[in-house]
Amino acid sequence: MLAYVIRRFIQSLIVLLIVMLFTFTLPYFQTGGIYAPAFAVLGTHANHRTVLEWGAQNGMNHPYVIRFWNYLVQVFGHFNLGHSYKLNLSVWNIISLYVPRTLWLALAALVFTVLIGIPLGIYQASKRNTTVDYTATGVAFVLYAMPLFLLCLLMLQAFSFSGPHLPASPPTGVAPWAIFTDPIGFILPVACLTMVQVASLSRFMRGTVLEVLVQDYIRTARAKGCSPKRVLFRHAMRNALGPIVTILGLSLPALLGGALIVESVFNYAGLGIQTVNAATNVDIPTVLGITLLATILTLSGNFLADIMLGVVNPRIRIQGRAS
Amino acid sequence: MSVLGEPAILANLVDPVGIVDQKGVAGDVIVPMWRQRLRIFMHNKLAIASVGYLVLILLFCYLGPVFYHTNQTNQALALDAVWNAHPSAAHLLGTDSSGFDELGRIMYGGEYSLTLGMLAGLITIIVGTIYGMVSGFIGGVVDTVMMRILDAFLSIPYLFLLISLFTIFSRSTTFLIIIIGITGWWANARIIRGDALLIKKLEYTQAATSMGASKWHIIRRHVFPNSISNIVTVATFSVADAILFLSALGFLGLGILTPQTDWGTMLQNGTAQISNGYWWEIYPLATVFILVVVAINYIGDALRDTFEVRLIER
Repeated sequence: MLAYVIRRFIQSLIVLLIVMLFTFTLPYFQTGGIYAPAFAVLGTHANHRTVLEWGAQNGMNHPYVIRFWNYLVQVFGHFNLGHSYKLNLSVWNIISLYVPRTLWLALAALVFTVLIGIPLGIYQASKRNTTVDYTATGVAFVLYAMPLFLLCLLMLQAFSFSGPHLPASPPTGVAPWAIFTDPIGFILPVACLTMVQVASLSRFMRGTVLEVLVQDYIRTARAKGCSPKRVLFRHAMRNALGPIVTILGLSLPALLGGALIVESVFNYAGLGIQTVNAATNVDIPTVLGITLLATILTLSGNFLADIMLGVVNPRIRIQGRAS
Repeated sequence: MSVLGEPAILANLVDPVGIVDQKGVAGDVIVPMWRQRLRIFMHNKLAIASVGYLVLILLFCYLGPVFYHTNQTNQALALDAVWNAHPSAAHLLGTDSSGFDELGRIMYGGEYSLTLGMLAGLITIIVGTIYGMVSGFIGGVVDTVMMRILDAFLSIPYLFLLISLFTIFSRSTTFLIIIIGITGWWANARIIRGDALLIKKLEYTQAATSMGASKWHIIRRHVFPNSISNIVTVATFSVADAILFLSALGFLGLGILTPQTDWGTMLQNGTAQISNGYWWEIYPLATVFILVVVAINYIGDALRDTFEVRLIER
C-alpha cells in the first residue's frame, strides 16, 4: 500500500511540475514584457534604464532555467504563490481570507451531490426506461445544457425575488464557517452548484450501474436467490462505486469553475470573485497564483480519491490500475 | 436448409427492430455500412427532431437577417429612443437595454455563438485526434510523456485557465476561437488514444506492419478510418461545450468584444433586467440557447448509439 501511495504521490508531483512550468512561462507572453510589471511599480514614466535596473533587482535578467528554479523555491520553500505588482501584496495575502470560503462552498455542494446523485443514478438504472427515468434524464439534459449563471439567476428569480424570499447573497465579512452558523444564506448558491453536478453524476452513475447489472456475478447473485434489492445494493452498487470515486475526483476542476460562477452571481467573496477581479485589473501574478492554487487543490483531491480507491480495491493498489 | 435460405428468420434473430436490410442478410444486395447506420439514426425520432431544430436555428441566424432587417450596429442614443420596449409590431420581441431589436439581436448574437462554437469545436477535434492517435499508436515513452502532459492540463480547472489566458493575451474574436479550440481537446485526446491503443492490437494493423507499412501510413489508412465514429461523436459534444464555455466567458465579461455580441453576453445583459419584468430580454433567448445545446448533445448521444456495433448485432 505504501509503495502505491508513494508512486501516486510522485506522479502528482510530476504533473504539478508541468503545470508550474506552464504558469511560469505564461507571463513571458504578456503584452509589454518586463515593462508591464515595471510600469505598475515604477509608474508609466519610468525610462528604459530604470526599468532594466528594477528588472535586475528583482532577478528578471537571469536565464530562464534559473528563474524557473527560483520560482520553484519560492512556491515550495516559502509557500509564496507570487507577488501582485498592482496591489504590492503577495498573492497569498490577497486570497488567504477567501480560500476557506470557497472550500466550504465547494465541499457542501460535493456532499449534497454525492447524497443526491448516487441514489438517483441507481434508482434510474433500476427503473430503466420508465417515466421516472425519462423525466430525470430530461431534467439532467436541460441542466447540463444551461449556462450555470443562467440557472443561478433563474433560481434567484424563483426563490429570492419572489416566493419564499430566501437571501439573495450569503453572509460575507464574517467567519469562513458561516455556512454552519447561517445556513439559510447558503441555500441558493449550494443548491445551484449541486444541481449541475448532480446532473452529470447521476447520468454517469446510471450508466455505470447499467453496465454492472449485465455482469456474470450479478446473474449468479440472482440465480442463487438474492432479492432484487440485495442484488442492487450489495452486488451492483459496490462494484459501481469505484468509477464513481474516480469521476468525483475528476469533477473537481468543474466544481471549482462552477464555484467561480456561483460566487460571481451571488456576490460571495471567495476565490472566484478574486480571480474575476484580478482578471479585470489585468493582475497577472494574482490570476496565475490562484490558478496554481486551484490546480494544487484539484491534484490533492485526485490524489485522495486514488488513495481511497486503493484502500477499497486491492487490484488497484497492487497493479496500479483496475484490470 | 441453409442459413441463407432463411433470411427472414435470421434477420429477426439478429435484428428485432428491422434495422438491417433483409436483402442484405440474404446476400442479394449488400447494404452499405453507412446506410445501416443511417437507418439506426433515423430510428431515433428525438435525434431527427434535434437535427431539424438545429437546421432551423442555423437558417434563422444566418438567413434571418436577410428577411428581418434590424439595426444591430448603432445603439439608440436619441432621447426619444425606445429602450426595453415591450414586444410590438415594430419590434416583434421588443428591444433590449441598448435599444437593439431583440429578435434581430438573437440572430446576430447567434451567428457569433454558433460560428465560434463550431470553429472552436473543429480545432478541438483536429488537435485532439492527432495528439491522441500519435500518443496511442507510438506508445512507450512517448505515450507516457504525452499522457503526463495531458494529466497536467486536465488538472488545471478549465475556467481558471481560460481566465489566465485571456488576462495575458489581448482579446479578439479570432483569439477566442483559437484559445477555446486549443484548450478544449484534452479529454478528446484521451478517448481517441484509447481507440488507437485498441486498433493497434488488431490483426489487420499487425498485418499491415508485417507488410512493411510505415507508422504514418497505418495511422492514416487504418487507425483513423476505424475510429472515425468516436471522432464524430466527440466532435459533437465539443461544439456544445465550446458554446457553453463561450457563454460563461460572456457572463464574466471576458467574451466577445462590443459592438459584436454573442448569446452569453446577451443573456448576461438580459438577466440584469430580470427583476424589472422585461421577460422578452431573457426567456426567448434562454429557451433557444438551451435547446440548441440540448439538441447538439442529443445528436451526440444518438451518434454514439448509431456507431455502437453491438446494437446491430442484438
